[in-house]
Amino acid sequence: MKKMPTHCPSCSEQLTVRRLKCAVCETEVEGVYPLPLISGLSNEEQMFVLSFIKASGSLKEMAAIMNVSYPTVRNKLNEIIRKIEETERCQGEPNE
Amino acid sequence: MSKINTPGARLRRWIVSDTSKTSWLFNPFVTIAGWKALWIGVTVILVAGHLGSYSNTHFDGVLDMHSGRNAPQWVFLAAGIIDWLCMGIIFWIIGKTVVKKPFRAIDVFGTQALARWPALFIALATLPPAYTRFIHILIAYSRTQKMPDGLNPADAVMFGATVVIMLLALIWMIRLMYSGYSISCDPQREKAVRTFVIGLVIAEIISKVIIVGIITGIAGAGR
Repeated sequence: MKKMPTHCPSCSEQLTVRRLKCAVCETEVEGVYPLPLISGLSNEEQMFVLSFIKASGSLKEMAAIMNVSYPTVRNKLNEIIRKIEETERCQGEPNE
Repeated sequence: MSKINTPGARLRRWIVSDTSKTSWLFNPFVTIAGWKALWIGVTVILVAGHLGSYSNTHFDGVLDMHSGRNAPQWVFLAAGIIDWLCMGIIFWIIGKTVVKKPFRAIDVFGTQALARWPALFIALATLPPAYTRFIHILIAYSRTQKMPDGLNPADAVMFGATVVIMLLALIWMIRLMYSGYSISCDPQREKAVRTFVIGLVIAEIISKVIIVGIITGIAGAGR
Protein backbone atom coordinates (compact mmCIF):
# COMPACT_ATOMS: atom_id res chain seq x y z
CA MET A 1 0.00 0.00 0.00
CA LYS A 2 1.32 3.42 -0.98
CA LYS A 3 1.83 5.78 1.94
CA MET A 4 0.31 9.21 1.45
CA PRO A 5 2.96 11.90 1.99
CA THR A 6 2.08 14.10 4.94
CA HIS A 7 5.13 16.37 5.08
CA CYS A 8 6.78 18.52 2.43
CA PRO A 9 9.92 16.81 1.08
CA SER A 10 11.51 20.24 0.66
CA CYS A 11 10.86 22.11 3.93
CA SER A 12 9.33 19.31 6.10
CA GLU A 13 6.21 21.38 6.87
CA GLN A 14 2.89 19.53 7.04
CA LEU A 15 1.12 19.23 3.69
CA THR A 16 -2.54 20.09 3.12
CA VAL A 17 -5.03 18.68 0.62
CA ARG A 18 -5.71 21.04 -2.33
CA ARG A 19 -7.81 18.89 -4.65
CA LEU A 20 -10.27 16.03 -4.21
CA LYS A 21 -11.78 14.00 -7.03
CA CYS A 22 -14.83 11.72 -7.30
CA ALA A 23 -13.68 8.44 -8.83
CA VAL A 24 -17.11 7.85 -10.43
CA CYS A 25 -18.20 11.14 -12.02
CA GLU A 26 -14.78 12.79 -11.94
CA THR A 27 -16.10 15.91 -10.21
CA GLU A 28 -13.21 17.80 -8.69
CA VAL A 29 -13.28 19.96 -5.58
CA GLU A 30 -10.55 22.43 -4.80
CA GLY A 31 -9.77 24.02 -1.47
CA VAL A 32 -7.38 23.84 1.45
CA TYR A 33 -8.14 20.90 3.75
CA PRO A 34 -5.88 19.89 6.63
CA LEU A 35 -4.87 16.25 6.79
CA PRO A 36 -6.39 14.23 9.63
CA LEU A 37 -4.09 13.76 12.60
CA ILE A 38 -3.95 9.98 12.13
CA SER A 39 -2.36 10.42 8.69
CA GLY A 40 0.82 11.47 10.50
CA LEU A 41 1.22 7.93 11.80
CA SER A 42 3.07 5.22 9.91
CA ASN A 43 1.12 2.48 8.09
CA GLU A 44 1.81 0.04 10.92
CA GLU A 45 0.73 2.54 13.56
CA GLN A 46 -2.49 3.23 11.66
CA MET A 47 -3.08 -0.52 11.38
CA PHE A 48 -2.46 -0.81 15.15
CA VAL A 49 -5.03 1.93 15.88
CA LEU A 50 -7.58 0.24 13.60
CA SER A 51 -6.99 -3.14 15.28
CA PHE A 52 -7.38 -1.46 18.66
CA ILE A 53 -10.77 -0.05 17.64
CA LYS A 54 -11.85 -3.39 16.13
CA ALA A 55 -10.88 -5.10 19.41
CA SER A 56 -13.24 -2.68 21.23
CA GLY A 57 -10.26 -1.09 22.90
CA SER A 58 -9.23 -4.33 24.57
CA LEU A 59 -5.45 -4.47 24.90
CA LYS A 60 -5.79 -7.99 26.25
CA GLU A 61 -7.46 -9.10 23.02
CA MET A 62 -4.84 -7.24 20.95
CA ALA A 63 -2.08 -9.03 22.86
CA ALA A 64 -3.75 -12.41 22.21
CA ILE A 65 -4.13 -11.68 18.47
CA MET A 66 -0.51 -10.55 18.13
CA ASN A 67 0.86 -13.23 20.46
CA VAL A 68 2.79 -10.69 22.53
CA SER A 69 2.45 -9.67 26.18
CA TYR A 70 -0.08 -7.13 27.45
CA PRO A 71 2.51 -4.51 28.52
CA THR A 72 4.19 -4.73 25.09
CA VAL A 73 0.92 -3.76 23.41
CA ARG A 74 0.18 -1.08 26.01
CA ASN A 75 3.66 0.44 25.59
CA LYS A 76 3.16 0.57 21.82
CA LEU A 77 -0.13 2.38 22.39
CA ASN A 78 1.63 4.81 24.77
CA GLU A 79 4.23 5.41 22.05
CA ILE A 80 1.49 6.25 19.51
CA ILE A 81 -0.25 8.51 22.05
CA ARG A 82 3.06 10.34 22.63
CA LYS A 83 3.50 10.75 18.87
CA ILE A 84 -0.03 12.15 18.47
CA GLU A 85 0.48 14.53 21.42
CA GLU A 86 3.76 15.67 19.87
CA THR A 87 2.02 16.33 16.53
CA GLU A 88 -0.73 18.24 18.35
CA ARG A 89 1.90 20.37 20.09
CA CYS A 90 3.60 21.08 16.73
CA GLN A 91 0.26 22.07 15.20
CA GLY A 92 -0.38 24.42 18.10
CA GLU A 93 -3.84 23.11 18.97
CA PRO A 94 -5.51 19.72 19.32
CA ASN A 95 -7.10 18.33 16.16
CA GLU A 96 -10.64 17.83 17.46
CA MET B 1 -5.22 -15.98 3.72
CA SER B 2 -2.25 -17.66 5.40
CA LYS B 3 -1.75 -17.01 9.10
CA ILE B 4 1.57 -15.30 8.45
CA ASN B 5 -0.14 -12.46 6.54
CA THR B 6 -3.01 -11.82 8.92
CA PRO B 7 -3.13 -8.26 10.37
CA GLY B 8 -2.27 -9.75 13.79
CA ALA B 9 0.86 -11.48 12.42
CA ARG B 10 1.93 -8.34 10.53
CA LEU B 11 1.48 -6.21 13.66
CA ARG B 12 3.42 -8.76 15.70
CA ARG B 13 6.31 -8.65 13.20
CA TRP B 14 6.28 -4.84 13.42
CA ILE B 15 6.23 -4.79 17.25
CA VAL B 16 8.84 -7.52 17.65
CA SER B 17 11.10 -5.90 15.00
CA ASP B 18 11.66 -3.08 17.54
CA THR B 19 13.28 -5.51 19.94
CA SER B 20 16.78 -6.90 19.66
CA LYS B 21 17.73 -10.46 18.64
CA THR B 22 18.72 -11.26 22.22
CA SER B 23 15.32 -10.32 23.64
CA TRP B 24 14.47 -14.02 24.28
CA LEU B 25 17.42 -14.00 26.70
CA PHE B 26 17.31 -10.52 28.23
CA ASN B 27 13.74 -9.41 27.61
CA PRO B 28 11.36 -12.39 27.37
CA PHE B 29 8.66 -10.07 28.70
CA VAL B 30 7.90 -8.92 25.15
CA THR B 31 5.92 -12.13 24.80
CA ILE B 32 5.31 -13.21 28.39
CA ALA B 33 4.09 -11.14 31.35
CA GLY B 34 1.15 -11.00 33.76
CA TRP B 35 -0.19 -14.14 35.44
CA LYS B 36 1.69 -16.56 33.17
CA ALA B 37 5.03 -14.96 34.08
CA LEU B 38 3.98 -14.89 37.74
CA TRP B 39 3.16 -18.62 37.98
CA ILE B 40 6.30 -19.68 36.11
CA GLY B 41 8.42 -17.24 38.12
CA VAL B 42 7.08 -18.25 41.55
CA THR B 43 7.53 -21.94 40.66
CA VAL B 44 11.14 -21.28 39.64
CA ILE B 45 11.77 -19.27 42.85
CA LEU B 46 10.48 -22.15 45.00
CA VAL B 47 12.43 -24.78 43.04
CA ALA B 48 15.61 -22.67 43.32
CA GLY B 49 15.02 -22.29 47.07
CA HIS B 50 14.50 -26.04 47.44
CA LEU B 51 17.66 -26.88 45.45
CA GLY B 52 19.56 -24.26 47.43
CA SER B 53 18.66 -26.07 50.67
CA TYR B 54 20.79 -29.06 49.58
CA SER B 55 23.96 -26.95 49.56
CA ASN B 56 22.76 -24.50 52.26
CA THR B 57 22.72 -21.72 49.67
CA HIS B 58 20.50 -18.86 50.80
CA PHE B 59 19.08 -16.17 48.49
CA ASP B 60 19.14 -13.85 51.48
CA GLY B 61 18.58 -10.54 49.71
CA VAL B 62 17.47 -9.34 46.30
CA LEU B 63 21.09 -9.45 45.08
CA ASP B 64 22.55 -11.79 47.70
CA MET B 65 23.41 -15.42 47.88
CA HIS B 66 25.40 -16.97 50.70
CA SER B 67 26.28 -20.57 51.41
CA GLY B 68 27.09 -22.44 54.57
CA ARG B 69 24.45 -21.70 57.23
CA ASN B 70 22.07 -24.54 58.18
CA ALA B 71 18.38 -23.62 58.29
CA PRO B 72 14.96 -25.26 58.04
CA GLN B 73 13.63 -25.85 54.52
CA TRP B 74 10.98 -23.10 54.79
CA VAL B 75 13.68 -20.43 55.31
CA PHE B 76 15.17 -21.19 51.87
CA LEU B 77 11.71 -21.03 50.25
CA ALA B 78 10.62 -17.89 52.14
CA ALA B 79 13.82 -16.01 51.24
CA GLY B 80 13.15 -16.27 47.48
CA ILE B 81 9.53 -15.20 47.91
CA ILE B 82 10.55 -12.22 50.08
CA ASP B 83 13.16 -11.14 47.49
CA TRP B 84 10.54 -11.23 44.76
CA LEU B 85 7.87 -9.43 46.82
CA CYS B 86 10.33 -6.67 47.79
CA MET B 87 11.21 -6.10 44.13
CA GLY B 88 7.55 -6.16 43.08
CA ILE B 89 6.31 -3.82 45.81
CA ILE B 90 9.18 -1.31 45.46
CA PHE B 91 8.93 -1.14 41.67
CA TRP B 92 5.15 -0.86 41.84
CA ILE B 93 5.52 2.11 44.23
CA ILE B 94 8.25 3.70 42.07
CA GLY B 95 6.14 3.15 38.93
CA LYS B 96 3.12 4.81 40.55
CA THR B 97 5.34 7.73 41.60
CA VAL B 98 7.25 8.45 38.38
CA VAL B 99 5.05 7.08 35.57
CA LYS B 100 2.02 9.10 34.53
CA LYS B 101 0.38 6.39 32.39
CA PRO B 102 -1.50 3.53 34.03
CA PHE B 103 0.08 0.07 34.31
CA ARG B 104 -0.95 -3.26 35.84
CA ALA B 105 0.45 -4.46 39.17
CA ILE B 106 0.27 -8.07 37.91
CA ASP B 107 2.77 -7.21 35.16
CA VAL B 108 5.22 -5.73 37.69
CA PHE B 109 4.97 -8.75 40.01
CA GLY B 110 4.86 -11.24 37.13
CA THR B 111 7.93 -9.91 35.33
CA GLN B 112 9.89 -9.54 38.60
CA ALA B 113 9.08 -13.17 39.47
CA LEU B 114 10.22 -14.47 36.10
CA ALA B 115 13.29 -12.22 36.23
CA ARG B 116 14.57 -14.37 39.10
CA TRP B 117 14.83 -17.49 36.99
CA PRO B 118 18.68 -17.30 36.71
CA ALA B 119 18.59 -18.17 40.44
CA LEU B 120 17.80 -21.69 39.27
CA PHE B 121 21.22 -21.88 37.58
CA ILE B 122 22.87 -20.58 40.74
CA ALA B 123 21.12 -23.23 42.85
CA LEU B 124 22.09 -25.95 40.35
CA ALA B 125 25.70 -24.75 40.23
CA THR B 126 26.03 -25.11 43.99
CA LEU B 127 24.79 -28.72 44.04
CA PRO B 128 28.09 -30.56 43.33
CA PRO B 129 29.64 -31.77 46.64
CA ALA B 130 32.99 -30.13 45.68
CA TYR B 131 31.39 -26.68 46.17
CA THR B 132 30.06 -27.58 49.65
CA ARG B 133 33.40 -29.20 50.65
CA PHE B 134 35.31 -26.06 49.73
CA ILE B 135 32.78 -23.87 51.57
CA HIS B 136 33.38 -25.95 54.73
CA ILE B 137 37.12 -25.50 54.33
CA LEU B 138 36.66 -21.73 53.98
CA ILE B 139 34.46 -21.66 57.08
CA ALA B 140 37.04 -23.67 59.05
CA TYR B 141 39.81 -21.35 57.84
CA SER B 142 37.86 -18.25 58.86
CA ARG B 143 37.44 -19.68 62.38
CA THR B 144 40.95 -21.03 63.00
CA GLN B 145 43.00 -18.90 60.56
CA LYS B 146 44.71 -22.17 59.63
CA MET B 147 44.24 -24.07 56.38
CA PRO B 148 42.67 -27.45 57.34
CA ASP B 149 44.02 -30.73 56.01
CA GLY B 150 42.42 -32.43 53.04
CA LEU B 151 42.18 -29.44 50.70
CA ASN B 152 41.60 -30.81 47.22
CA PRO B 153 42.79 -28.43 44.43
CA ALA B 154 40.00 -29.78 42.20
CA ASP B 155 37.46 -28.54 44.78
CA ALA B 156 39.03 -25.08 44.63
CA VAL B 157 38.77 -25.06 40.83
CA MET B 158 35.17 -26.23 41.03
CA PHE B 159 34.42 -23.53 43.60
CA GLY B 160 35.98 -20.88 41.34
CA ALA B 161 33.91 -22.06 38.37
CA THR B 162 30.75 -21.96 40.52
CA VAL B 163 31.49 -18.40 41.62
CA VAL B 164 31.89 -17.36 37.97
CA ILE B 165 28.53 -18.98 37.11
CA MET B 166 26.97 -17.20 40.10
CA LEU B 167 28.30 -13.81 39.00
CA LEU B 168 27.14 -14.27 35.40
CA ALA B 169 23.71 -15.44 36.57
CA LEU B 170 23.47 -12.47 38.93
CA ILE B 171 24.29 -9.98 36.13
CA TRP B 172 21.75 -11.72 33.89
CA MET B 173 19.15 -11.54 36.69
CA ILE B 174 19.72 -7.79 37.18
CA ARG B 175 19.34 -7.25 33.43
CA LEU B 176 16.07 -9.22 33.48
CA MET B 177 14.83 -7.23 36.49
CA TYR B 178 15.50 -4.01 34.59
CA SER B 179 13.70 -5.31 31.49
CA GLY B 180 10.76 -6.37 33.66
CA TYR B 181 10.53 -2.96 35.32
CA SER B 182 11.00 -1.14 32.03
CA ILE B 183 8.33 -3.08 30.13
CA SER B 184 5.76 -3.29 32.92
CA CYS B 185 5.92 0.34 34.12
CA ASP B 186 7.13 1.99 30.87
CA PRO B 187 9.08 4.82 32.58
CA GLN B 188 10.60 7.56 30.42
CA ARG B 189 13.93 6.44 28.98
CA GLU B 190 15.98 9.05 30.87
CA LYS B 191 14.33 8.13 34.21
CA ALA B 192 14.33 4.35 33.72
CA VAL B 193 17.91 3.48 34.74
CA ARG B 194 18.06 5.99 37.61
CA THR B 195 14.77 4.87 39.17
CA PHE B 196 15.69 1.20 38.64
CA VAL B 197 18.97 1.58 40.54
CA ILE B 198 17.24 3.44 43.39
CA GLY B 199 14.54 0.74 43.56
CA LEU B 200 17.08 -2.06 43.49
CA VAL B 201 19.06 -0.57 46.39
CA ILE B 202 15.90 0.01 48.48
CA ALA B 203 14.61 -3.53 47.74
CA GLU B 204 18.02 -5.00 48.65
CA ILE B 205 18.08 -3.22 52.02
CA ILE B 206 14.48 -4.12 52.90
CA SER B 207 14.82 -7.77 51.80
CA LYS B 208 18.08 -8.12 53.73
CA VAL B 209 16.52 -6.71 56.90
CA ILE B 210 13.47 -9.00 56.61
CA ILE B 211 15.38 -12.18 55.75
CA VAL B 212 18.42 -11.84 57.99
CA GLY B 213 16.78 -9.88 60.79
CA ILE B 214 13.36 -11.46 61.05
CA ILE B 215 13.13 -14.78 59.16
CA THR B 216 16.48 -16.12 60.31
CA GLY B 217 15.64 -14.98 63.85
CA ILE B 218 12.32 -16.88 63.82
CA ALA B 219 14.01 -19.96 62.37
CA GLY B 220 16.71 -19.77 65.07
CA ALA B 221 14.14 -19.37 67.85
CA GLY B 222 12.07 -22.29 66.54
CA ARG B 223 14.96 -24.74 66.64
